[in-house]
Amino acid sequence: MSSTNDGDNPLLRAHGLSKYFPLESGILASLRGAQAAVKAVESVSLDVYAGQTLAIVGESGSGKSTLGRLLLRLMQPSAGHVQYKGENIFAMNRTRLRAFRRQAQIILQDPYASLNPRMRVGRIIREPLDIYREGSLAERERRVQELLERVGLTSAQARSYPAELSGGQRQRVCIAAALALSPEIIIADEPTSSLDVSVQAQTLNLLSELQRDFNLTYVFITHDLGVVQHFSDRVAVMYLGKIVEEAPTATLFAAPQHPYTQVLFSAIPLPDPSRRINWELPTGEPPSPLDPPSGCHFHPRCPKVMADCSATVPKLQTTAPDRRVACLLYEDRKHSPPSAPSKVRTPSSNMDGGETS
Amino acid sequence: MNLLSVQNLRAEFFSGGRWLEAVSDVSFDLRRGEILGLVGESGCGKSTIAYSIMRLLASNARISAGEVWLEDVNLTEADENTLQGLRGSRLSMIFQDPMTALDSLFTVGHQVVETLQEHLGLNLAEAQERALALLRQVGIPAAEERLSAYPYQFSGGMSQRIALAIAISCHPQVLIADEPTTALDVTIQAQILHLIRRLLVEEQGTGVLLITHDLGVVAQVCDRVAVMYAGKIVEFSDVNSIFKNPLHPYTQALLKSLPSQGIARGALENIQGRVPSLTDWPTGCHFHPRCIHARALCREKAPPLRSAAESQEVACVLYE
Repeated sequence: MSSTNDGDNPLLRAHGLSKYFPLESGILASLRGAQAAVKAVESVSLDVYAGQTLAIVGESGSGKSTLGRLLLRLMQPSAGHVQYKGENIFAMNRTRLRAFRRQAQIILQDPYASLNPRMRVGRIIREPLDIYREGSLAERERRVQELLERVGLTSAQARSYPAELSGGQRQRVCIAAALALSPEIIIADEPTSSLDVSVQAQTLNLLSELQRDFNLTYVFITHDLGVVQHFSDRVAVMYLGKIVEEAPTATLFAAPQHPYTQVLFSAIPLPDPSRRINWELPTGEPPSPLDPPSGCHFHPRCPKVMADCSATVPKLQTTAPDRRVACLLYEDRKHSPPSAPSKVRTPSSNMDGGETS
Repeated sequence: MNLLSVQNLRAEFFSGGRWLEAVSDVSFDLRRGEILGLVGESGCGKSTIAYSIMRLLASNARISAGEVWLEDVNLTEADENTLQGLRGSRLSMIFQDPMTALDSLFTVGHQVVETLQEHLGLNLAEAQERALALLRQVGIPAAEERLSAYPYQFSGGMSQRIALAIAISCHPQVLIADEPTTALDVTIQAQILHLIRRLLVEEQGTGVLLITHDLGVVAQVCDRVAVMYAGKIVEFSDVNSIFKNPLHPYTQALLKSLPSQGIARGALENIQGRVPSLTDWPTGCHFHPRCIHARALCREKAPPLRSAAESQEVACVLYE
């Protein structure tokens, strides 16, 4: 499908993307001038390459889902833009946007909430084809059968209602509907978080196969670092609306640079009793996005905090050809090799040979 | 020393005009100062066991056989007064959604203080002082100010800390923790699990029954593990053995299907089919339709849990 897979041109590129949600609106607030706002996403720039999987990870409130919605123009940004093959999606007219939307689909976390309970499965999968008037009705029905089979459902299940299906089967319906128009890119927002472990494995395998067969591009929004490590090519780590680190998956898991990434990785409960968590974790909770700390948002919880951190906002800058990190620790020595993180227990160090790619 | 002893427990739900078994002949003991993990996928009956122990089953559910003993008290036969006296003091529970434990109409301080007065017989000033110390202990910053805050002003992690503070305050012998960190971020999850281990298990010798679907959490904090599938315990062992040498085909498959096991980008092994629902549990071994080792015998025979190796029990004909 993708004819633009020529290496350097990203399929999707976000530049200086921000989304602020005003806390109060109306005449009084605007009279008061400066409006308080939650900065859900704050000047995020990133590239998504065709045929690859970019994982966006972060804890709740980090802005990762908002970022996913911005990438599809499901909401308007407060600043910045997103380019799809070089074209700003927020400047697209109706026709262009319609063309973009068939190429860019979304799969959501909760397959219980994202399917219309009064529609039969076949109709749900056919709906995108109806909207885009793809072929005759008979052709659409054939396509529905094809999709059902492709995602591992039976043709008889086209007549079922979502309530008659299990969580894993419903997520397959969502995947089939997302695939109906043969998109180039799928944004998957926590697609397996609500599924049981055994079903999660089935779903991840299906998504992998589909990517291989259709050269799909994925943006995988998740908080599950096991899934990230297994599934993605690149990872962007978000904290309170900003990307704090971005790197190829294997590189990131082998040696995370940002102190937040290090903390995050060391808190993952690995399924291995011989590698228990070092409980001397930073205390405290992620601050409220309503009132983010000054300087580096992570500084109040950072084990490596320095005097400047509360005053200076670190820039996301390149520390190696393929990686970026936003931390003052790395600002002056971007040409020297990154210092080995001290005593960081990463998931990859857990495995025989540290094999991650 | 066994604090809690669950013996041949059966629990049922009434649905569609008949009683459906949700917990099927489950037995285990919980020791003082240990964390016992009860792990399984959704619908396997793990929460039903918790509610059976607490005698908090919904009105459409019942214990149909078996007994639960808290030391010398038979919980299955205790009357409501006895239970009321035990719950919150000797027997405590925390939930996945900590908001269910807190009343949104009262300040957090009021709720902690009330519990302390009720269960420990402290006067108001003593209870207030104790509440403040407790909030500090569970890592609530600016504890003094937070006492006068309402639950909605707390994040999920903060509310779980409060629920834990209330649980800790009464020195429970047994804490049942039903997916206590499932709704929390990993950094907060680690802190909460650490608090449970340090403040309850190590300092007070509490026995904790930790119900979870997360094998990572099990590996990190549990001493022993019971793996459940479709209403039954299929494997019971110490935590190291279960991860190093899982015996039951279900446990083996479950561990292999975890994406964090190091095989990056390869296909994950998975268990064919799906978890059966209460209405159509298979005959014999409940796992047989999905088991790669299944034989004809497995369709008929439900193997009991029996010792297969040192500190490992398994319910599977492969080991008979």
